[in-house]
Amino acid sequence: MMKNILVTGVSRGLGLEIVKAILADDENFVYGISRLKTKELDELLINNANRFKWLSYDLSNVNDVRNKIFKEFIGVTTPLHGFVNNAAIAYDDIVTNLKYEPLLNMYNVNVFTPMIISKYVIRQFLLHNTKGSIVHISSISVHTGYKGLAMYASSKGALEAFSKNTAREWGEKTIRSNVVVAGFMETEMSAMLSADQKDRIYKRTSLKTPTVTKSVAETITFLLSQKAESITGQNIHVDSGTI
Amino acid sequence: MNKIREILNTVLENRGKPQINSISDSSDLRNDFGLDSLDLAELTVRIEAEYDVDIFQDGIVTTVGEILEKINNKK
Repeated sequence: MMKNILVTGVSRGLGLEIVKAILADDENFVYGISRLKTKELDELLINNANRFKWLSYDLSNVNDVRNKIFKEFIGVTTPLHGFVNNAAIAYDDIVTNLKYEPLLNMYNVNVFTPMIISKYVIRQFLLHNTKGSIVHISSISVHTGYKGLAMYASSKGALEAFSKNTAREWGEKTIRSNVVVAGFMETEMSAMLSADQKDRIYKRTSLKTPTVTKSVAETITFLLSQKAESITGQNIHVDSGTI
Repeated sequence: MNKIREILNTVLENRGKPQINSISDSSDLRNDFGLDSLDLAELTVRIEAEYDVDIFQDGIVTTVGEILEKINNKK
C-alpha cells in the first residue's frame, strides 16, 4: 500500500534531498510544500509526476493550514503516514540586536505553523488509523551554541520539546515523533558564513567535515519507516560527531 | 443518532473498549462510555470527517446531546 508523507521546505537544500530519499522507495508518495518552486524542484516534480505533488504555501501564514493544506491539497480521505517538518528560516544576529518582528516571523515559520500542521497530521493519522511517524528537523546549535544563533536555536529547541511531548501523548495510538538534530551542512542556510567560520565549525566535529545532507535525509527516511517502529521521543544527532 | 453511535463504537473498538448498544441525548461520553482524552480526539476527527464540524472548536462537549446540537447548528 502506498505511504503518503507530508514534507515542508522542499524547494532547496536538505528538503530536496529528503524528497529524493523518500521517493527512492517506490511505495512512498510525497506531498511537498514550499513557498517557491526552484528549477531543481521542478525537475523532481516532472520526473516523479505520479508520486510527488507540490503546493505553494508560505508557512508564515498560520491561518490557512487546515483549508489549504489538509482539505484542498492532501484531502481528508487520503491516509497520511508521515510528516517531515523541515522548512525553517534563520534569524541570525547577536542578542542585543534582537527585534520582535523578525523573531515573530521566524517563530511562525519554524514553530507555530509546524505545530498547527502537527495538529492536523495527528488528526489525519487518527482518522485513518495509521501508525504515523513525525520527524522534526533540529539543529546542533541547540546543543552546542554558536555566536549569532541564539534566536534560531531557541526555535529549534522549542521543536525538540514539542516532539518529546507529542511522542509521550500519542504513543498509545502508535503515533511516533522524533527529531533529527542536523550538524552544519553545505546548504544555503549556512551560505552566509565565511570559509573561516565554517572551518572553525567543522573543527568542532569528530569527523572534521560538514554534515552530509544525504546522511541526514536517509536518517529521516529511516525514522519514517516501520524499521524504526520502536523509536519515539528521541533526538537523533546526525552532525559529524559534534563535540 | 445511529450514525453517532456507529462512530462512537468505531472509537471504542480502536481502543479495545466494550461496544455500546444504545445512546441518548443525556449519555455522558466520559462517564457512560469510558472515553478518555485520546478517544475524544479521535471522536472529534471522525465527526469532523462526517459532518465538517469540529465539536471541540469552542469549548468542551460532555454529552451526546451536545454533539448533536453542534452538528445541527452547522446545518
